[in-house]
Formats: sequence, structure tokens, C-alpha cells
Amino acid sequence: MLYSDTVDSEVLVHKPWFVAAMFLAVFLVLMPFNLAGSGMGELMRPVIGDPAVSGLFGRASIAFVLALLFCINVALIAFLPLRLQVLVVWFELLMLFLAFFQTFNLSLPFIAEKLPFMITQGLLTTVYISAVSIAIATVIAILGAVAKLSNNGFVYAVASFYTSFFRGLPLLMQVYLIYLGLPQLGIIIDAVPAGIIALSLCYGAYMTEIFRAGIQSIDRGQWEASRSLGFGFGLTMRQIILPQSLPVIIPPTGNQFISMLKDSSLVSVIGVWELMFLARTLGQKTFQHMEMLITAALLYWMLSILLELVQARIERHYARSKKR
Amino acid sequence: MKTSAIARGTAALVLALMALPVQAGEVLDRITAAGVIKVATDANWAPQSFVNEQNEMDGFDVDVAKGIAAHLGLKAEFVTPGWDIITAGNWQGRWDMHVGSMTPTSERAKIFSFPAVYYYTPAAVAVHTDSKAASLADLNGKVVGTTTSSTFEAYANQDLVLDVSGAPPFTYEFKPGEVKSYANSSTAFDDLRLGDGTRLDAVVSSLPSILDAEKAGYPIRQLGEPVFYEPLAVAVEHGDAELEAKIAEAVAAMKADGTLGELSKKWYGVDYTKTE
Repeated sequence: MLYSDTVDSEVLVHKPWFVAAMFLAVFLVLMPFNLAGSGMGELMRPVIGDPAVSGLFGRASIAFVLALLFCINVALIAFLPLRLQVLVVWFELLMLFLAFFQTFNLSLPFIAEKLPFMITQGLLTTVYISAVSIAIATVIAILGAVAKLSNNGFVYAVASFYTSFFRGLPLLMQVYLIYLGLPQLGIIIDAVPAGIIALSLCYGAYMTEIFRAGIQSIDRGQWEASRSLGFGFGLTMRQIILPQSLPVIIPPTGNQFISMLKDSSLVSVIGVWELMFLARTLGQKTFQHMEMLITAALLYWMLSILLELVQARIERHYARSKKR
Repeated sequence: MKTSAIARGTAALVLALMALPVQAGEVLDRITAAGVIKVATDANWAPQSFVNEQNEMDGFDVDVAKGIAAHLGLKAEFVTPGWDIITAGNWQGRWDMHVGSMTPTSERAKIFSFPAVYYYTPAAVAVHTDSKAASLADLNGKVVGTTTSSTFEAYANQDLVLDVSGAPPFTYEFKPGEVKSYANSSTAFDDLRLGDGTRLDAVVSSLPSILDAEKAGYPIRQLGEPVFYEPLAVAVEHGDAELEAKIAEAVAAMKADGTLGELSKKWYGVDYTKTE
């Protein structure tokens, strides 16, 4: 809630002008879609005749009915309590996506057959790579943030060069550079460690900036008060500054974790059998890659939801002081 | 003190230089000692190499690699880096041999040795079943899809060089208006299946992959005769003549006793180990 007050006003979606505008907008958005061939067209047969030849009239009728249903749906949901509203809308959107996936005519037995391998081989590798990279990136980020806020010119230069370089190159290129480039220096590493190094360095650079911003968001007075109490740098950082900056740092960091989880798919180019690699290869022989891609998409999504839940919990934990 | 440092440095340099010729046979020694030869191949190139129902590597290239390994008295182990990673060279012992239908070109010969050509793929052109094109010449000025940095792309761009011995001659049958390159051929077929001319008018790919897509229900058909025969070879890095000799020997033996032809028939239904 941005700001909730106690002034009662009429619900926006129950105002006639808003409902009319919404209806028109949905109607216009639906017009370009040809839904005559779908189940919706069959349902409308008594009105529009044979859906296949109904043309513009059929299209407009279907859009009209759907827009009407949409408006009734929104107006009805507004009567529910907030939590129930969220649940209902989530459920409806999910159903829409399932209906969309349905249009691909997916072979469920094939998915069921491949799912165990996708989880034991693909998902585990993805989680393993992401988890290790997240841990390393966090350490790099703390060090980088302190270095970027340092008065030491050498340290600052190294840290700012690092963040500039690794934020400035596409992650895919970093994966290539580390996998193909390090051997030139005599260090031959396997694909998985190369992927972990690339992910850690890249996300370490992004998170350095997040941590730096978080630390800088703490008022100068906190440092001054801490110094006047005789606290040294380390103690001030650990006990005063970091605990206060964490609520600022956590939401964008959670974002980074989720995005890293998905970017770990880039290491598939160096032949790591993780989720994305399997999604692209398993269905290849039988031309069933849509099945595998959608399965992998759902697996990624579930992992992201897990991370979102963890993030929400941590945020609640740090928001205690702001509760009234 | 200073002289001894220089002397040590010189000694190290001399040793390093001496080490160079000793490297011949190094790979062979290493894999013989390990009992395993690591073979790099694509995991997305059915029926040459792909992941089968048992989630293991399978296909024609994979079978050939296993055959070569067996002739060397070794076990084949497969790694699946991306094609561009393999062709970048500089393998550093991560894998020892590439059996992945690589066309030997003089550009690639700078990085790799090609000890043995083991089969030829006819490259052909596929169009949507709705296409009105009756001959390859009808594709002049059309949008043609291919695979990135492949010979098919080179053919479509009309700068294909097949300078390996035994490569049959060919001619450019058409001049596309635009060439679109995809990461793999199935993505190109996916775009072609959307409709004639929706995104692509034709795809240049290997005949086996076209027939495979057709069999899987893609609404595409082969147009005209194969446009060229691509010789495909085993690739290793330069520097180990003994390994190369062994591989050439193994492939020659497999050709002589008919195993290679059998494998081709098993995977393609046709003997691609000779050109017609």
C-alpha cells in the first residue's frame, strides 16, 4: 500500500465512466486477435454462425463478449476483501497461461518421461551453480562496496574498474572470455567453474553498486555519532551502518538473485548440462522442444517464486521497526 | 648471483623449447594412459548426435566416435560444448577429438588437422509445402534461413570454399535476397513452418535434417537436387601426428569392413559414406 487513509470513496472500477473506458480499451486490444478458431468461436456459434467464415463481425462479437466478461469480472472482484482479490486474480491469470500453453498441443507423457531427468540433472546443476555464484557474488559485493567508498586511490581505482568492466560486458561474452581466455594464461578450468566465475564476477559488480548505494543511504550523522562513541571502522560498519542499510539493499539484491538464477542458463553454451541446456536438447530428436522449453520455463518460475517468498520474509523481518 | 639467474632463465627457456618436439604423441600417450578419449560433439544435431530416450548421447557421429575409440582400444567419453567453443580451437586437453560432422576447409585447417573424412552430407534446400517455387532458381531474391557459421550459410552467401581433396564440385543454383542465420537448423525449420514467406522462403540445411523434420510432421519439402556434397571429417588439434595416423587407420578400417556404411544406413537409411 503506498498510503492508506481512512477517507471512504467509491471504488474506481465501479464508476460508470471508468467501466466504459475499460470496456473500450479491452475491446480494442482484443480486436487484432483472431479467436474465431478457438473454443470461444465455437461457443459463439449460435450468434455468429460458422466461426471460420464469420469474418470481422465474428471477431467483433467475440471481442465484445470477452470485454463484457472482463469488466463484470473486475467489478465483481472489487467487492472481495484484499487478500481474496489477489488470490482470485492470480488464479485467473494462471488459468489464462495454462490455456495459452494448451494451444501448443503438448505431449504430457513426454514431459512426464523427461521431467525426472530435468530435475535431477538440470535443475540441480542450475541451483548448484546459482547458489555458489550468489554466495561468492555477495562477498565480492561487500568488498567492492567498501573499496568504492574508500579514500585509498588504488583500491578505489581497482574497484571502479572492476564494476565498470563487468557491468559493461554482456554476461555471455564474459562466459566465453573466462572459458576460452583463462587457458591462455595456463589456467585450464572446466565448464562449471568457468560459469560460476563468470556469474560471480558479473553479479558481484552489479551488487557492489547496490551495496554501495545502500551504505551511502545512511545518514552521515550515524558515522559521526558512532565515531564519537569511539567505535572503529569495522565495528561501525558491522553494528551501525550495515544493519541499517540492509532494508535498502535487500529488495534490489533479491532481484539480482532471481535474475542470476535465470542468467545461469548462459553457461549452457559451454556445454554444462543445466536446465536450459536440457530444455534445448532433450526434445530435439523428436521435435518436441516446445514441451521441454515450457517445462523448463515453469521450473525456472517455481524457483523464482521460492526466492520471492524468501525475499518477502526477509523484508518483513527488517520492516519491523517501521510498523505502527 | 645475477649470472646464475640468467643461467637459470636460459635453462628454463631451452627446456621449454626442447619440450616442443616432445609433444608429438603427447595426446596419444595421455589418452592411452587414461584409457579414455574425450570426444567433443554437439548435443543438438539429430540424427548425427543428440540426447536419446535414456538421456545419453546417441547418433551417427557418436557411433563413429565410439568405433574409432574401440579401434584405439579406448572408451569414448562425450562432452558437449557449443559449436563455436569447439571451433575456437585451443582445446587445452579439455577434449581430444571432435567427431561432429565438421567440414574441412582451409580456414579451419589453420586450427585443426583432419585425419579422416568419414562421410559426405548432401546439402539441400527445403521450402514450405505451400511454396510455389518449382526449381532452385525460383529462390532468387528470396529470404533463406541457414545455420550460423556453417557451410550452408556460406553456400547461401555464395562464398563457400570446399578445398578438401575429394570434395565433389558444385554450382550456385540461386542468389538469395536475404540470408537469415540461426543457432541451429531446427529453429530455422520452426520459422519456415509458420508459413511460406512468413519469415522464411527456404532453408538451406543438410538433407538428413530436412528429411527428419519432414518425418516429424513439419510442413516442408525438399526442393530440387542436393546443392552440394559436404565432406565431413574427424578433427583434432595440430601437433600429434601419431594420434592422427591412428584415427586415419581406424576410419579406413571401418570403411573397409563396411561398419561405416552400416552405421550410415542405420541412422540415415542411406549410405552417405560415398558420393553418387
